[in-house]
Order: sequence, then structure tokens, then C-alpha cells
Amino acid sequence: MKRAMALLLGFTMLWGLIGAAWASRPGVLTIWADSTRAPILAELSPAFTAEFGIPVEVQEVPFGDIRARLGVAGPAGEGPDIIIGPHDWIGEFIADGLLEPLRFLEGMRDQFVPVSIEAFSSGGEIWGLPYLTEAIGILYNRDLVPAVPETYDEFIALARELTDPERGQFGFLTNIPQPDPFHSFPFFTASGGYIFGLDEEGVLDPCDIGLATEGAIRGGHLILELITAGLVPVGTDYAAMTGLFNDGKAGMILTGPWAVADARAAGINYGIAKLPAIEGQPMRPFVGVHGFMVSSFSANKLLAMVFLQEFIVTKEAKLALYEADPRNPAFLPALEVVAADPDVAAWAANEAVGIPMPSIPEMAAVWSAWADALTLIVTQQLSPEDALRDAVARIRGLIGC
Amino acid sequence: MTMTAILFKILLLGVTNALGIWAAVGLFLAGSWLPLSGLVLGLVALNFAVLSKRAYPLRYLLPGLIPFFLMVVYPIASNMAVAFTNFGTGHRLTKEQVIAHFESRFYLPEGGERFTYQAFRGPAGSLILLLTSTVTGTNYLSERGILQAVELTDPRFVYDGAEIVEINGHHRLSRRELVQIMGELQELSLQWGDEAVRLVSLAEFGVARRQYRYDPAEGVLTDLRTGIAYTPVEGIFTSVHGERLQPGFAVFIGARNFTEIITNPHISGPFFRIFTWTFLWAFLSVATTFTLGLALALLLNDPYLELRNFYRTLLIVPYAIPGFISILVWGGMLNVDFGIVNRILHDLFATKIPWFHDPLWARVAVLLVNLWLGYAYMMIVCLGALQSIPQELYEAARVDGANRIQLLGKVTLPLLLISIAPLLVGSFAFNFNNFNVIFLLTGGGPPIPGAITPAGATDILISYTYNLAFGAAGARYGFAAAVSLIIFMIIGTISAINFRLTRNLERVGESL
Repeated sequence: MKRAMALLLGFTMLWGLIGAAWASRPGVLTIWADSTRAPILAELSPAFTAEFGIPVEVQEVPFGDIRARLGVAGPAGEGPDIIIGPHDWIGEFIADGLLEPLRFLEGMRDQFVPVSIEAFSSGGEIWGLPYLTEAIGILYNRDLVPAVPETYDEFIALARELTDPERGQFGFLTNIPQPDPFHSFPFFTASGGYIFGLDEEGVLDPCDIGLATEGAIRGGHLILELITAGLVPVGTDYAAMTGLFNDGKAGMILTGPWAVADARAAGINYGIAKLPAIEGQPMRPFVGVHGFMVSSFSANKLLAMVFLQEFIVTKEAKLALYEADPRNPAFLPALEVVAADPDVAAWAANEAVGIPMPSIPEMAAVWSAWADALTLIVTQQLSPEDALRDAVARIRGLIGC
Repeated sequence: MTMTAILFKILLLGVTNALGIWAAVGLFLAGSWLPLSGLVLGLVALNFAVLSKRAYPLRYLLPGLIPFFLMVVYPIASNMAVAFTNFGTGHRLTKEQVIAHFESRFYLPEGGERFTYQAFRGPAGSLILLLTSTVTGTNYLSERGILQAVELTDPRFVYDGAEIVEINGHHRLSRRELVQIMGELQELSLQWGDEAVRLVSLAEFGVARRQYRYDPAEGVLTDLRTGIAYTPVEGIFTSVHGERLQPGFAVFIGARNFTEIITNPHISGPFFRIFTWTFLWAFLSVATTFTLGLALALLLNDPYLELRNFYRTLLIVPYAIPGFISILVWGGMLNVDFGIVNRILHDLFATKIPWFHDPLWARVAVLLVNLWLGYAYMMIVCLGALQSIPQELYEAARVDGANRIQLLGKVTLPLLLISIAPLLVGSFAFNFNNFNVIFLLTGGGPPIPGAITPAGATDILISYTYNLAFGAAGARYGFAAAVSLIIFMIIGTISAINFRLTRNLERVGESL
């Protein structure tokens, strides 16, 4: 009896050895994309599989998780071949050795909007294939605002006319008090502020921080004036701003292409305008570029590049991506096709004067210090000079300059 | 035991062992020795416990012990190990991975020749490549990995019109087939004189040179293109002149994370203030939730109250709603200009409270929201504990002439605290580390004017750690692990003291 049981035990255990033989499967392209882009790729990729016979697996991974998971899954060999994400991820990824440079793009630079290639470049290599660009602009309600003024003084005058707190109507709203440093950037750049300066070799120098220069302080004062003039309530956040706009109670808001879908759904007669110029200087927003990146731990590196080069960098694929997610294409042939749309032209005008968001890991320190400085400015606890100078001192302390 | 029971037991153990062996083989192949030894030990213990007659009691402990080791002991041990390293952004990989990363890098030298190619596959699976230089137009045939110059009139070539379709019995591969064997092609390194030729893109081969070479004896990584030698300094290959190569790898740095906490003024400066607020926050949270929970429990315990079940159901609602959602909703409701709370206050009293802009009011806000979230738990617990107090004690006290307040203070509270005290200590420890409420509601709170550190008015130790570890330059897991160990020791000490005190309370109950 005991021997029989021992034999049965041993026999069952043998199955474990057989199971170990079923391991990985090569020759399949794995793409991680978020919920907006995964369906588009899932639709496009069968054409690639039909032409080349390579199966393409598109896995939907939440946007925030892609960045965290690549760092863990890639080195463990469980990672994808291609990911889709914004350009400011590349700083951290390059420091961790997670990306493969895309050498095939060297010869194709002039087919893309220049700022998009610049955003994905670092250390002389290009690390991502750009496919869309976005920057903030003025989203306005044509029923309240016939045309957006081109100079800042006229812009503020118009906002004052339209603002009537009794009736809950606002001429101009922004969620900068939330605090949101990303949206406050155009105010700083118009008079000469910047985040990281460039050193002699044209590389971002994290110790040269331009958030407390004269121009930046001027920008801080302009933001403070929005609050003290009663144009923007100090508690305005993204939900309040878009909520009021979609109810038809706000004339102009400072936001990006992501807000257009809701405005359209709410039936607002909307338009998009370029940011006004402050004393002749353009307000330069941040430009965000989204693109395809190849993992350096991928087993199919060249295959991934073939997929990108032969398949994604085509007018058809870029237009298909645009149709499903209408943000300006970075690929010039596709951009020309859709440039007839006045919305596209307006966003492109803002992007043309935009500055790519810095992608180095030190940006994390900048965001938090900058946000705190904005809070202190809008709640009038510190003057813009003091708040911004403290912020710069803090960033330098955290980075270790 | 019956035959079927024994059979079932053997099969279950066999299947578990099979899964364990499958996992062990995978771990062995991946070279993960620590998890492998853990798995083997666990399996041996499991088999011993099930099969041996002497280990009979162990059989009932094992299903609890194994998850305990996996989910409690192992993460703590791993956390402690990480605290002594610089694991984080720029130091995520192991040394072997970093060396492999660099040794697999190839560069295409300036003026290096490029070749277009055609591939031919034979019946046995062997591959022949015909390369054509884009510079000189010379054709080369790859034989056993070496490129030999050939003429297009070579008798081994079979033509169909102007196209070669067969070489030496090998048939030409279409573009589609080329893409399918990309993996194989990209590994090829063909010898061309003293250079190596590798696949550069779908269409071309090119002269490629290995960019780095690692000398294990000296521990030096040499850049063959520039000749610069790099030695590892704290996990990053650094040259004599200070140039650093990315990525780096995680290394043991001793107690440096801990000393940084103490010596760096940017970090240690606000530490005492934050610690005081964290302690106050935990204490006030427990005090307010317990008071409100007990008050409601006493009310609901009253047998003369109508619709008790209805009230109890309503009062449990905050406990039932997921905290994440309710905290975010509260954040919206407490918005200074557009939140409903301030709108009501404005209509009634013509004031607006600067909830998240003023340090004091921000602290009141987080305490209020935590009160809303936590009172239901205390209410349920008190309701249960109140039932365990014998009614005779109340009757005896009333006979002795005690009024309601004396009943509460002398009978209810002491007996209640015996059973509730551990829960209060647990609630204190939980709130000490209550990251969710602070992070979602205020993100650390209104910044302190003039502070050079990222510490807000409502920052508790754990949210401050989060900002330091992840809000500076990428993620610093080693540093975060070190701070979390310090927090663990603080809470452990406080809890130990608290447990000592509550043991004294139990002696009160024993004498009854």
C-alpha cells in the first residue's frame, strides 16, 4: 500500500518536469499601449500580420502603469517590445538602460515636425518615433467671444468685460491655482523665463534653472494679477474650469486638445486660438510629444524597428491614429492632409512656438517645487520674487547642485 | 483514514509538488538562487508535515505559516536589504545585466561599408546570404560565417531572368520570410576580412564594431571606439575624467541612506516638525473617531430607540464606500470657491474657509475627512464590545446610586477599553502611516512659506518620504526603504509601549 502511494506521488510529481518545458514564445511582437491607443493598434496590426506573417499582440496597460512596469518587467525578461508614451519618459528610461535608440530615424528627420524629433532626442540619439504633438492653447466659446485678441492687454480687457461673478460668468479661466505648473509655463516664458538652460554642448544643464529670472518673476506677477483682479477664483481646478466652459459660462480657457471632445459633446460652439503675445513676445507653451519606443530588453529589436519603419511611419497609419485620437500628427505628410481643419492649424500655431518638456529625471524636483511656489503666489502668502527664489533654492538642494 | 481520503491527500500533494518542481526548474534556469532555495525549503517542509506522523501538529500550522513567510517576512527582509543599497533610477539593473547591455552594443564606424543582401534557405535549414556592397558593387557569399567575394556568373547561382532564385539548392526568401527570420538574422556576425558585418536594418547589412569590452579580471569596461576605460564607482561605470555611462547598477552602499537622513539639513530639518504633526494626527484621528463611534454606539444600543437598524445601515455607509473615491469627492466638496461646503457657508455666514490654502484649516480638513471615514469602524467595534459587558453590572451600579455619567465612566469605559485597547493601538499605527487621506486630499498640504524642503503643513512622515524618494530625480527605492525602516522602528516602539499599558488595563478586568 505504502509503495503504491509512493509511486503515485512520484508519478504526479513528474508532471512538473514536463510543465517546465512550456516556456516562452519568440517571433511575436508585443506592444503595450493605454486604453486610448490600444484599440487603434489592435485594428491596424492585422495588416502587418497579413503582410509579414508575424503575430502582433497589443496589451492594454493603464497609462501610468506602463512607465512603472517597464522598469521591472523589462530587465526580468517579461517586458514588451514596443511601448507608446510621452517623450518626457525617456529621461528616466535612458538612465535605467531600458530603451533602444532608433537609428533608422536619423535619415528621416525631415519628415517630422522638428520639435517632435527634438523632444525624443537625447545624447545624440533618437529614442522614440513621434506620432503626435500637443500643446495648450486658448479654447474659446464663439458665442461669448467673437475673436480672441492677439495681445495680452486686449486679452485681459476682454476677459474683464465678460467676467460677472454675480451671474457666475467668467471671461478667462485657467486651472493654474490648482496648482498646475504645466499650464503656467507660457506666462513664464513670455518674458524670458525657462526651466533648464543649455550648456555649451547643447545638453540640458540641470543646475541652470531659470524659474527665478526677471522674466519668470514677471510671469509670476501676471498670474497673481489674474487672481487679484478677480478674473480667476483662487479655487479653480480642472474640473471647475471645464465644467463652467461646458456649461457655457466661461469665455476662454487655457487648456489642450484633450478638452475638445467634452466641449463638442456639450454642444459648445468652440474655437481654438493662439496664445496672446505679451509685449510682442509669444507665450511659449510646453509641447508634449507621444511616440513609439523600443525596449532594450526586447528579443525582437530589429523586428520592432521593421514594424515601426515599414508600417507606422506611413501616411495611412498616422492618419488612422489621428482619426481615432484627434491630436496633431507629428508626421509631416499626415499633418499636411489634416491641416485644412482650422482646429489643427490653431494647435499647430501654438506648437510652433512651443518648447518640449524637459525629459531628464530631475524634472520631478522641479514640478513639486514649482507647484508649491504657485500655491504661495496665488494665495498671496509670498510675493512672486520670494516664492520663485525659494523654489529654485529648493530644486537645487534636492538635485544636489 | 479511508482509502479515498488517502488517495486524495496523495494526489493533492503530488500536484502541489509538480507545480513546485515546475517553478523550481524555471527559477533554476533563471539563476534566481534565493527564491529557489526558499521554494525548495517550503516544499520539503510541506512534504515532511504531510507525510510524517511526528509532524502532525505542523500540518495545521503550515497553511498559515507559508503565506506568512511569503507575504510578511520576505517583503520585510527584502525591504531591509534594499535599504542598504542605492537601488533606484539609474541603478535598477544588476551588474551582469549592465555589462551584458554594454557588450551587446555595436557601432557603425564612419565610412563603414553597407551591403544590400538576399537570403537563401536550404532544405536542411541552413542559410546562405548574398551581400552586395553599396560602395564598390562587389558581391560576397557567406559560407560558414565568412564572406567570400563571388562573381554573379558563379555556376552555383540559378537565375530566373535577372533574378537569382537558387544558390546551391537554397531557395530565395521573400521579404515576408525575411521579416519572419529577423531574430535569426540579427544575431549573425559575418566575417569580412578583419571586420564584422551585421544586420543594420531590414534592407542592409553594415560593418559593425563591438563598442565595449569588459575585462572581468580588472573589472574595467573599455570603450573600444574612444579607448576610454571605465571602472565601476558606486554602481556607475566612470572614467578617470568623471564621465559616467548610463545605465548603472544597484550596489551595496552600507548605511549611507540612514546617515543622509540625519546629516542632510534639507531632509532632517523638517523631520521633527513632521514627526510631531504625524503623532498629533494619529492621536487626534483615533481620539475623534473613537469618541464619535462610541457616542453613536451608545445611542444605537439604547433599546428604546426606534428604527435602530435603519440608522445603523445609514451610519455604516462611509465605511462601505471605497476610500479613494470618497476622499477625492471630499476634495472637490472642500474646494475654496466652487465646493459645496464653502457655498453653503457663504450663503449662511458670508464666509469662505480657505480649506487647502491655510495650514490650520488644511489640518482641520484632513482630520474631518478622516473622522468621516473612520467613525463607522469604531462604531461597529464599540457596538460589539458593548454587548459583552454584563447587564448585571449596570443594575448593581444603579442600585448603588450611580448616575448616567458615572455608569459610563466607571462601568462602561474600563471594561470597554480592555477589549478595544488593542484596536485603538492598531488604529493609531494605521493612521500614523495613513498615506491615502493625506496624499489624495492635500498632497502634503499647503506649502510652508520660506521652507527649502518639500514638506507641507499636513505632510506626515510617510508622505514626506514619498516626496523625497520619488519627487527629486526619479525613484530612490533604497532611500525610501531606509526611511520606512525608521518609521517602522518608531511605530514599533510606540506600539510596544501601548501594549504594555493595555496589559495593565487587563489586570483591572481580572479583578472583577
